[in-house]
Amino acid sequence: MTTNPLRDPRDRRLPRVPEPCALVVFGITGDLARKKLLPAVYDLANRGLLPTNFALLGFARRDWDDVDFAELSRTAAREHARTPWREEVWERLSNSVRFIQGSFDDDDAFDELARTLGELEGSHGIGGNAAFYLSIPPSMFPVVLKQMQRTGMAESTPERWRRVVVEKPFGTDLPSSRELNGLVDSVFGADDVFRIDHYLGKETVQNLLALRFANTLFEPVWNSAHVDSVQITMAEDVGIGGRAEFYERTGAARDVLQNHLLQLLALTAMEEPVEFSAEEIRTEKLKVLRAISVPKDMARFAVRGQYEQGWLAGQRAQGYRQEDKVADDSRTETYAAVRLGVETRRWAGVPFYLRTGKRLPRRVTEIALSFRKAPHLPFAPTDTEELGHNQLVVRVQPDEGVTLKFGSKVPGSVMEVRDVSMDFLYGEQFTEASPEAYERLLLDVLLGDATLFPRNAEVEASWAVIDPLEEYWASTTPFSYRAGEWGPRAADEMLASEGRAWRRP
Amino acid sequence: MSTLWDTNGSAIVKELTEQRRTGGAVMSGVALTLVVIADEDRVVEAEAAAAAAAEVHPCRLLVVVRRQVEAPSPRLDAEVIIGGRLGPGEAVVMRMYGRLGLHAESVVLPLLAADAPVVTWWFDAAPDRIETDALGVIANRRVTDSLMAADGVAALRRRAEDFAPGDTDLAWTRSTPWRSTLASTLDAVVGRRGGAVQVLGGQVVGDPENPTAQLVAGWISARCGCSVTVEAGQRSTGSKGIDTVVLTLDQDEEVRLTDDRKGGAVISQPYRPDATVALPKRTLGELIGEEMKRLDNDEPYREALEAATGVTGLADRAPVREHVWFDPMRPAPAAPDVPADSVEDDEVAETGPGDDDGGDDSPEQG
Repeated sequence: MTTNPLRDPRDRRLPRVPEPCALVVFGITGDLARKKLLPAVYDLANRGLLPTNFALLGFARRDWDDVDFAELSRTAAREHARTPWREEVWERLSNSVRFIQGSFDDDDAFDELARTLGELEGSHGIGGNAAFYLSIPPSMFPVVLKQMQRTGMAESTPERWRRVVVEKPFGTDLPSSRELNGLVDSVFGADDVFRIDHYLGKETVQNLLALRFANTLFEPVWNSAHVDSVQITMAEDVGIGGRAEFYERTGAARDVLQNHLLQLLALTAMEEPVEFSAEEIRTEKLKVLRAISVPKDMARFAVRGQYEQGWLAGQRAQGYRQEDKVADDSRTETYAAVRLGVETRRWAGVPFYLRTGKRLPRRVTEIALSFRKAPHLPFAPTDTEELGHNQLVVRVQPDEGVTLKFGSKVPGSVMEVRDVSMDFLYGEQFTEASPEAYERLLLDVLLGDATLFPRNAEVEASWAVIDPLEEYWASTTPFSYRAGEWGPRAADEMLASEGRAWRRP
Repeated sequence: MSTLWDTNGSAIVKELTEQRRTGGAVMSGVALTLVVIADEDRVVEAEAAAAAAAEVHPCRLLVVVRRQVEAPSPRLDAEVIIGGRLGPGEAVVMRMYGRLGLHAESVVLPLLAADAPVVTWWFDAAPDRIETDALGVIANRRVTDSLMAADGVAALRRRAEDFAPGDTDLAWTRSTPWRSTLASTLDAVVGRRGGAVQVLGGQVVGDPENPTAQLVAGWISARCGCSVTVEAGQRSTGSKGIDTVVLTLDQDEEVRLTDDRKGGAVISQPYRPDATVALPKRTLGELIGEEMKRLDNDEPYREALEAATGVTGLADRAPVREHVWFDPMRPAPAAPDVPADSVEDDEVAETGPGDDDGGDDSPEQG
């Protein structure tokens, strides 16, 4: 029996709207909150996806009152919102915006937060439900979590849910991530912890599952019998910006490889989930992550790089060591490429080449499956000189979409086969309707849908892959590459030694 | 963009190919074709809405403007646009004069995107029976707008009598924000009680002449198994036709939604302070966009329509329609089950410009 007679699973027009709830953001004055979270909240409200009883609470050290905060939120939301600005939407929202001033070790401030939540329960009818978004450095987690435990804010009961949203980095290695997970999971229940990997909120990533499991065309060739190799790339054209302090400690492998790239690998390599549910999808992803093998010959198959000064997009770019607050002899990598294997029947023997880097020629994220060459070609060898591997490329960003590369006859009187590509442009056509990643993920948190959030076991399995690499790298110096080129030579040699080459995205 | 005067369908197809070749990168993944039927005096409005929808959903846009059916000789003028005024995709605006307007499908058929769904939208009042319009018969989804008819409620009834799976009406689309808010308000009650909610009755206060108000009342009736009617309200209502919706729940509770006339609605429910939600007015383009989002049959609409009009048996209607020849210049045929022979239709279209003398001796009059 349905509990709400107006809800009808066939009624696809009615959006999924969360229950009445509050969203509490710690570190509301930070960059992420202003550029992503607040606009996402506005966009959700504008699309009618927020519950009718909703409150937004900001917590930060700054000495503000509700009015200042409402003004800041308004400016931030208006500046970065994806959907058109409607003053009336914001007005409704701003009625339920509260600001709590205090530092994280301030007992009074947390008591006030708890009190305000209690008040809103009555005055705004949020029913006691709340999601806490920790938009703060991980070093602050313990103190904030302890405070929440002390005030009893973190407890889910049958009458109300309390959830916590954590941003990466989820630790810096396996032991630290275990410790962090243990801490978060001890304050909140494991099911109430949402780890945001915003890549998973992207439409194409979700489309990867549709592509693989809704079609008959791709799955039969999605294995080592047909796939020669897989390349997963996440390239950025920007440098480290103002994040030197964080980056010096972290590096490309911990910053990107450990989370985004391994998650993309998991989605690419996983088996079909029993059903399209959070639990089943996470189970399959975890199996893949646990089956990942690191190269034995690290010197050849785990390459780090660091950018030197160069030219990028017509502008001079300074080298990493010349960036503000970076040590002159820094050995932090800004580029990492590694050859991984997935030890399952489906993938045994297929190399997964993962690479990420900063100050590369352009910003692009993609998954490319390169297929084996035909075992026999009835054409003369000269006819097919231009024919490469067939490829299926899932472009995650920008220009979200799918490209299929295959050989085709060049028009003319002679037989000549050359590679051509067939394009499906996802993003460009659906941009207006497809929500921003944060919007989607925030909504999922409020709905309690954990499909797109990695589970703690996944995070730990990912660190288990990264740790041996970091251990090897600890004693090495990254190769250098010029800003504006596709990484160090050693990365090219890594593929060349196996008769392959990086795809130029 | 190019304009073709006194042209034919093959020339349009050629021109499209030509423009695609010279226009550089064009959308490659056309997911559907949107056929818009509009009258000359409001075609600009229809074009703007269709273009806005095409921004969101990739489609090939075909706008059919029928003019002067009584004109002595048929003529076709066409505008071919790729990526411009009519959205990012390919668009063709066709003006059909004379009896060509009755054979519009002869021009439209070869222009449909290959093996992709077709959505036909009548911007103005739709035909009483969609079978009489070949452009409706070729469509997978047919969008009408009862609000455009002089008598919206009568139009809704005609839609019910004519209903086939795949039909939908913009009066229904306009109700989505109201329905969504009503459903989430009941969610809140369910959440508070921690158990099921029953709706024992209710009332829609607004404009009883408005098809959207009727459909919302029908929807609640159908979902809750009680009779909900539209009562005339004191205040004037906009295109949505609804001022207030009251739902009587079990346990002696009541929820009430009232339009606050400032782009929002006030929700009153027991044990909770009044809350205001935004109910922004949506443009026609957004409405069409919503229609193009899902192309499956809309069962909730069917049930709401049944309940609102009292016409029953809609679930048993066949999704396939057959074209029924209808000549607006002549009285309706006595026996409506004389299907036009498509071969004959084509013949007329092909030979049309040459030997047409007003069409009175067209072979299709059987």
